Amino acid sequence: MNLPAPPFDFQVCLAACAQGDRRALQALYDHEGARLLGVARRIARDHATAEDILHDAFIRIWTGAASFDPARGSARGWVYSITRHLALNFVRDTRRETPLDDHEVTAVASLFAGFDEPQLWTGSARINRCVEQLQPAPQRCILHAYVDGCSHAEIAGLLGAPLGTVKAWIKRSLQALRECMA
Amino acid sequence: MNQGSASKDPEALQTLAGEYVLGTLAADEQAEVVQRLAHDPALQAAVDAWEQRLLPLAEHAAPQPPSPRLWSRIERSLGHQQQVPRTPWWQRLALWQGASAAGLAASLLLAGLLLTQQAPAPRYLVVLVAPGDNAAGWVVQASDARNIELIPLGQDQVPEGMVLQFWTKGEQWRAPVSLGLVKPAQQYRVPQQDLPPLEPNQLFELTLEKAGGSPTGRPTGPVKFIGRALKVI
Repeated sequence: MNLPAPPFDFQVCLAACAQGDRRALQALYDHEGARLLGVARRIARDHATAEDILHDAFIRIWTGAASFDPARGSARGWVYSITRHLALNFVRDTRRETPLDDHEVTAVASLFAGFDEPQLWTGSARINRCVEQLQPAPQRCILHAYVDGCSHAEIAGLLGAPLGTVKAWIKRSLQALRECMA
Repeated sequence: MNQGSASKDPEALQTLAGEYVLGTLAADEQAEVVQRLAHDPALQAAVDAWEQRLLPLAEHAAPQPPSPRLWSRIERSLGHQQQVPRTPWWQRLALWQGASAAGLAASLLLAGLLLTQQAPAPRYLVVLVAPGDNAAGWVVQASDARNIELIPLGQDQVPEGMVLQFWTKGEQWRAPVSLGLVKPAQQYRVPQQDLPPLEPNQLFELTLEKAGGSPTGRPTGPVKFIGRALKVI
């Protein structure tokens, strides 16, 4: 899936939010809410929880807009990282750090079926090309971690690989991605 | 993850930052990174770079339409939030830009008003607009600082227990001065008070305050309408 990015100035939007303009926050919600909810939903695996996360994310965007520093990265990235980390904190607090049992593996794996679809890889972003160059198993490690918020143990369960191997794959993949993107 | 080695070894720092962004750190490691981020510029830079690098992967999550009630829930919660840090309204750049953007609207309105004006002609006119959409809400006419009149253009309403407070601030003034409390959609003549002479570009605005007006003598509530004085020749 490669979503077209309509022209929306995230930085101007955050500046307006910092000045107390609620319409700017609503514009951000209208523009990006469904995509952000999609991100939270994949990690939380539950729609109602994902909506709670999106709610908290928008409150945090609103209260923290003045602290956004464009020198540190894009405004869009800032909005996404707030949402993702709230979702990751939620699953970290609620999900246990043990491998999934067979039933859970089947249930979770069905959520991830999309990864094998070739059209996922039509994205023009360089990171997609770089992830594509990884071996299939490390590739799935990166995507299950980033997109699904899976822990090492969950990925080990999904891939049927030892925990230590998964940790090594992720570490090496991060090195490879950084070199590929350099 | 060993903190000491991560600080010295750039590769370990990159892995720590990368795993933080991926989300694979255990709760204690993650808490450690959050704590270090506040005072470790190298780690902060590595995390920022990873956030940007991996961001396009978020597109692998299909969009989900939020339920219709979610936005109103967010909006309700905003009411209890204090934004930090807050800048006083008279220092907010966008507001000033918005006020200047109203200049054209102001001169058009001014032309219309002049045609119907009785003597003494106002020497200053201000169109007060809503900060977000620049919709004109009020006009201020003044012949001098002792004769300032506020004229409603619409039928705006104020929530129960709230009032509109009228303020002005000259460019060199340190803070705005209250010109009194205003009822929505009602003409208001400012009682005589000891004000410096009016000047071009002097700022006028209406803020929403609790009944009785701002307790601090400075605007505390949201700006509802704002504009700058134009000198009539």
